[in-house]
Amino acid sequence: MMGILSRATRNISRRKTRSLLVIVVLSFALAMLISLPPSITQSQATTQKTIDALTANAQAVNATMSIVATQIECHLPAISVPNPDSKAETIQVQPLMNNTDYSNITSIPHVRGVIPILDQAANDSNLDYNIYGIPLDDASLIDMYSLLLPSNITEGRNLQVGDSGVVVLQQRVADNFGVQVGDTVKILNQTFQVVGIDGYSPLNKTAAYMNLNQAQTITDNAGNVTNFKVFVDDVHNVDEVATKISIMYPKLTVSIAASLVYSIIQMQTQTNVQLELAQATMSEIQSTGTLEIAVVTAVDAAIVLFIMLYTVRERTREIGTLKALGASSAAILGQFMLEGVLLSLIAGIGGIAIGTIGATSFANLLLPAPTQAGNSTVTQTGVSIGAASSASISVAITPELVLLGLGVAVLLGALGSLYPAWRAARTRPAEAMRYE
Amino acid sequence: MNDSVLKIENLTKTYKLGKRDVQPLTNLNLEVKKGEFTAIMGPSGSGKTTLLNIIGCIDKATSGSVLIDNVDIAHLPESQLYKIRRDKIGFIFQNFNLLPYLNARENVELAMELAGKFKGQRKQRAKDLLNTVGLSGREQHRPQRLSQGEQQRVAIARALANDPAIILADEPTGNLDVNNKQEIVKLLLDLNQKQGTTIIMVTHDEQVAAQTQRMLTLNNGKILKDKQTQKSTLSGNQSKAEETQEE
Repeated sequence: MMGILSRATRNISRRKTRSLLVIVVLSFALAMLISLPPSITQSQATTQKTIDALTANAQAVNATMSIVATQIECHLPAISVPNPDSKAETIQVQPLMNNTDYSNITSIPHVRGVIPILDQAANDSNLDYNIYGIPLDDASLIDMYSLLLPSNITEGRNLQVGDSGVVVLQQRVADNFGVQVGDTVKILNQTFQVVGIDGYSPLNKTAAYMNLNQAQTITDNAGNVTNFKVFVDDVHNVDEVATKISIMYPKLTVSIAASLVYSIIQMQTQTNVQLELAQATMSEIQSTGTLEIAVVTAVDAAIVLFIMLYTVRERTREIGTLKALGASSAAILGQFMLEGVLLSLIAGIGGIAIGTIGATSFANLLLPAPTQAGNSTVTQTGVSIGAASSASISVAITPELVLLGLGVAVLLGALGSLYPAWRAARTRPAEAMRYE
Repeated sequence: MNDSVLKIENLTKTYKLGKRDVQPLTNLNLEVKKGEFTAIMGPSGSGKTTLLNIIGCIDKATSGSVLIDNVDIAHLPESQLYKIRRDKIGFIFQNFNLLPYLNARENVELAMELAGKFKGQRKQRAKDLLNTVGLSGREQHRPQRLSQGEQQRVAIARALANDPAIILADEPTGNLDVNNKQEIVKLLLDLNQKQGTTIIMVTHDEQVAAQTQRMLTLNNGKILKDKQTQKSTLSGNQSKAEETQEE
């Protein structure tokens, strides 16, 4: 065995220039080969992050749609009335509606629910605030209630279905009354237990939130509401439902967040485009990477094949001599396969060295750049989506890949030299001896 | 020393050359005794090298039998023939056929390595054989650093490595100058006379052939003459009368 190994080594080293050239080419091929699998994984992971980010964006968009864009605001037009404090001035007031007069809205297709709201101004010593009543009697509408209830509970809890005699106070109102969670508070002569505090926020109302019936009772507005929030099943149906409400109840002012709806639809389209792009990139990375692995593997094996075929042809007389000296076909096969494997193994070591240094360059050179999602922000008033960009990846060669590289080198060396070695082994000595 | 080491009966070799059949050997019969030094002569295409190749198991007979040490090698499969080549035959080629990337000692060792001999054993024997052929101190030289005569000596040492039954030499002096030619012939004669090595040598050179014990002349695939040329010195046999066999 040592003799065969020694002869194989010497045969490689005696054609130094040729061997070096072959080893360099094979090294680069093997470097690509060991760089590609982690590059594919890394690129796909980066792209997957993009897909996840886009999916999260899409979910956020859906949430926003649920919060705002699928709501239709219905109320009577404000009317001007004389200002009781100054006879010369008028003020705008929101006329009330009877809760039952608009019950047909629920029968309009695509309407998920109709929530009547009473939003009445109140005054307590130094603070103007609103009494905000929401029906809390239908558990099936809880998701819609939650969109209308205070969103920044900092203490205690929010209102729940079935709540009665309880109130959630905005922080300023609680401060004004000097109460906290667990205390009782008297609002318009009615006692409520404070169950939650709505923290300070630029957007939230200075209000006391309670059951609609109780809000109607304490403000002497039994059966009346200030507005309806109509929830539509899909943002694309908002226009249609709003039109139908307007036709059904011409006196109502029906408004939608048109610019937001447009913004959301646009973002949804952008998100879908980016998602498709990212998924296409994912597939492209896989297919390109697989194709490149196949091509590099084939090229690698072909280089070994051709160089060993050339070697066998060049050394036909030597094969004849070895056979004449009593070398078995298996010994000839073994010697030439060992030469191919050794050549490939040396190249494999070179390939690992090159791959360790240049894996990242190979990855960025050989694979489609993974898509990186832009930062998107979702607000109550709209959605801004960041532009997608190409990401570069960083690939490291792990000890497992080193072993894999050496294994692949041995395998390709064996595969590539198998046919030439078989031909060498099959060479008939008499013909080989005559070969010039 | 009358034991037959080689016995050929009705040996015919046919092969196709394009569309026509060529028959370099036709019903050839030959017996070579152990310790005999036989020269085979004949014009080009007479079948000399084909005969040598068949005896050396590197070519196959079409029909007939070829017994080496009483084993008929004519119809053995390749899986058996390589063992005969390894153990029973020693080749000496006109072009020496040394492996250029091995030094003199390693070239001699190669034959023994193929026979599965251990490193220490084959190293010592290679040195001894190189010493026998007059190349002591040249063991580490690669073929390209040896003269042609020296290369042929290495080839002779290699042929002797596994102590074969027959040495087959195909024009061993064909590529050598006069001085080297004579030295190689002398070496072969010494081996034959002192060690009793059976040698069958193809040559075109009558002077070289005349120094052997037996001279066969081939023509058209048949033995035209079979002539005993000198005393068999090793066995001390009586000088034989010149015989001529015409077939």
